[in-house]
Amino acid sequence: MSLFHRLRHTDFWTRVTGLIVAVLALLLLFPILRVLMLGFVDADTGAFTFGNFVEVFTRNYYLNGFKNSLFVGVLGTLGACLIGIPLAFFTARFHVQGQAWISTLAILVLVAPPFIGAYAWIMMLGSNGFMTNFFGLFGIETPTIYGAHGIILVFTLKFFPFIYLMTQTSLNGMNKSFEDAAENLGCTPWQRFTKITLPLVFPAVSTGAIICFVLAIADFGTPAILGRGFRTLSTIAFSAYRSELGGRPTMAVTVSIVMMAISMLALLAQRRILSKRRYASALTNPPVKQRMTGWRNTVMHVFCHGIVLIAMLPTLVVVYTSFLKTNGPVFIGGYGLESYERILRTAPEAISNSFVFSLGAVVLITVFSGLISYVIVRRETAAAGAIDFLMMVPYLVPGVVMAIGFVTTFRGGPLDVVGTAGLLILLYFIRRLPYGVRSATSSLRQIKPSMEEAAVNLGAAPAKAFLVVTVPLILPGLIVGALMSFITAINELSGTLILYDGGTITMPVQIYLAVLDGEFGLAGALSTVLLVCTGACVYAVFRFAENRDSAFL
Amino acid sequence: MASVEITGLRKLYGDVVALSDITLTIPSGAFYTLLGPSGCGKTTLLRTIAGFHAQTSGQIAVDGAPIETLPAHKRDVAMVFQDYAVFPHLSVHDNVAFGLKQRKVDKSAIKTGVAEVLDVVQLSHLADRMPHELSGGQQQRVGLARAIVVRPKVLLMDEPLSNLDAKLRVDLRAELRRIQRDLGITTVYVTHDQEEALAMSDIVCVMHGGIIQQAAAPLDIYLRPANRFVATFVGANNFLDVDRTSGGAVLRSGGADVAARISAEGPVTCAIRPEDIHAHPPGTAIDPGRIVLAATMREISFLGREMEIFAVTEAGEEIKAVARPDPAIVALPPKSPVTFTVDPDALSFFARGGNGDRLP
Ligand SMILES: Nc1ncnc2c1ncn2[C@@H]1O[C@H](COP(=O)(O)OP(=O)(O)OP(=O)(O)O)[C@@H](O)[C@H]1O
Ligand SMILES: [Mg+2]
Repeated sequence: MSLFHRLRHTDFWTRVTGLIVAVLALLLLFPILRVLMLGFVDADTGAFTFGNFVEVFTRNYYLNGFKNSLFVGVLGTLGACLIGIPLAFFTARFHVQGQAWISTLAILVLVAPPFIGAYAWIMMLGSNGFMTNFFGLFGIETPTIYGAHGIILVFTLKFFPFIYLMTQTSLNGMNKSFEDAAENLGCTPWQRFTKITLPLVFPAVSTGAIICFVLAIADFGTPAILGRGFRTLSTIAFSAYRSELGGRPTMAVTVSIVMMAISMLALLAQRRILSKRRYASALTNPPVKQRMTGWRNTVMHVFCHGIVLIAMLPTLVVVYTSFLKTNGPVFIGGYGLESYERILRTAPEAISNSFVFSLGAVVLITVFSGLISYVIVRRETAAAGAIDFLMMVPYLVPGVVMAIGFVTTFRGGPLDVVGTAGLLILLYFIRRLPYGVRSATSSLRQIKPSMEEAAVNLGAAPAKAFLVVTVPLILPGLIVGALMSFITAINELSGTLILYDGGTITMPVQIYLAVLDGEFGLAGALSTVLLVCTGACVYAVFRFAENRDSAFL
Repeated sequence: MASVEITGLRKLYGDVVALSDITLTIPSGAFYTLLGPSGCGKTTLLRTIAGFHAQTSGQIAVDGAPIETLPAHKRDVAMVFQDYAVFPHLSVHDNVAFGLKQRKVDKSAIKTGVAEVLDVVQLSHLADRMPHELSGGQQQRVGLARAIVVRPKVLLMDEPLSNLDAKLRVDLRAELRRIQRDLGITTVYVTHDQEEALAMSDIVCVMHGGIIQQAAAPLDIYLRPANRFVATFVGANNFLDVDRTSGGAVLRSGGADVAARISAEGPVTCAIRPEDIHAHPPGTAIDPGRIVLAATMREISFLGREMEIFAVTEAGEEIKAVARPDPAIVALPPKSPVTFTVDPDALSFFARGGNGDRLP
């Protein structure tokens, strides 16, 4: 049979599976493999070598970066656990006033542009920060925000919502009988907490912690802005890329591979530990909330609200500074809208680009996540399993790596598309696709397959059945997925920094450049625009998602 | 109206043989029921006819035209689902109109077609409701209406009543049968409820382990089961061993001579329906033409309309008899002797080994 013949006779979903595999191979696997290969290539001769890895593990410059990444990654995760777990425990087990408010703020922290935290803390505690200056008036010297501890502080406050939301979900789903039984067997409340409750939420906590750790290792904006000589693997990779520009970015890639290996190892270790601890239980006896009284109650409330307020502080500062009167980069006292005028004057294309690219990517993501979710959920082929697995990859691959992969794959030749809008859209598409797929998949799992079968049985071709029956039924999932991918796409920084050129600058890049130039008014105004978009999307997710908290994880 | 012919149909799931060499003919307009225990392949057969999955080998023909390679949406066989599968985002009217729209029927014809069918299933007053505003029984009527409105060549139903409560099930059963008869649609119906199968069908096809055991009219299935499996699965049965003596054959329990009834060689077992066994209180006269089985009472369950008697014969074989309640019997204490009699014509014989085929 000729190929044409065969194509005509394969059914719709087989063709769709083929298309998905082709797209993922071209936009995900191929670029990543190209990048990985660069790590084993000599920059000058192009010959195969392990020299790059030898260099990373012998030269102090890289070794320090390695240690620094692990250091801030581990401590940032630990910090996030230290405030996330108690917060979850209090809100899940006790009556806390303003619960919805707390979880909303935590979610806002989660989705806020990634580097806002870093530069807002500079404005508060940097060498010319207003807190520094304020305390300086009284002769009090505030600790500097630059360096490892600053990065750890920002990571802690930025990533604790993962721990908090996951632990809280787990606590809310825990059968109360376990705790009752422990009490009945003579445990004190503290013993009960450490011996029963903590082990039972361990899977959730560790999953949250792994997310924090992977994100912290890959985070570029925070160490880039706060590091000042304290270099992590991600900033080293980026500057290596900058200095290797034009040549083969072998060192940038080698460092990135090490970064990914760390994340991968952490993930595998966690999976291994978890595989021995599977706690299934029916929620026959849902937990009840207790009332705390006296000074304990006050302390608990201060803690819960204090945490989310401090975590929100950077955002508030950013919005506040955007309304300060400026003259050029200088704040001249009083309030005004000059910063907004300036972004309209100097950076209108950053705003429009951000929207066009993100929306373009979201359209692609929505179409593909519908199709991919169907293939994953409804088809039991090897390809479906492989696609399901591949959807984890973008989470693990840092933006820098993905972008370098795009550069090496799509640069040169007749098809030099680096720096074009199309390529950025494709980058956002492939990096944020898993958000859409996750949401669509969980929606589709709740739809009985007999729905589509009934449609096909009544004469609708498979494509038509999908369009008129499946799509309307998973629409809420598609919308939530689209919103989530939009939020994460419009905030993308690290990959864009490598792929953009003058005409395709985006808001996050513009903010990053403004911060480096000390243009805090401009950065504040742009960040506020981003925040408003993100906030609007969060509100929309609340409207459409069945479980508002877990939609963001 | 169409006949269905299935020849040598096989379906494997990996190593699991779900259907093994299915060959059957469904006459035009018949109500054909697939009956069998869980996991015997009923659903698999139905879904293979519908085209939801491909057969491993074999042919399916409707009115002589092969359909086994057609994609599901071109087969013109309509299915009623066990879980209703009513589209939750479409109103009752739009659900029923769905198939007509796929067939590009024009608007006015859709309108009259839908109205007609909704009338048939008595849902006209609910045409504008959404599915979540309907009861289970009403949803299943929508499922039925949606399937028959397209006048399919064949109607497939997979346990359509099993999610409904007992009373509704009996009501809807009669209604389904009436509608099917009025429209004359060839119907393949799946159930594991033998009462349902016997009450509704023109032909009952008993399946076990992916193999057709017997396909015949309900009465034939009951009175002349083709093998031991059918004899046990449809209605209850007592199985008593037959001992071969030199040239003769006797029931191990009671010793009645049954040699005249058995032509075949090899070990044989004798089946007796519980309702064919009469229990006699001590001291009643017994018709000399009947076979006598002396036994010891185990237990009596009084169920209202009837009583079930469990006993053990002198040869140690267990017997169950069903009869109208008789105070003289219900009063018997356990372990007391009881006499059973059977009309010799009520005995049927099956080979004891192999498939347990019925002996002529
Ligand atoms: N997708 C599948 N993969 C593997 N085996 C299957 C699959 N579907 C069915 N089977 C097997 O095929 C056999 C027939 O299954 P089928 O669903 O047809 O049974 P059934 O007669 O409809 O039973 P029930 O009365 O429980 O619905 C069973 O042994 C079942 O385990
Ligand atoms: Mg079944």
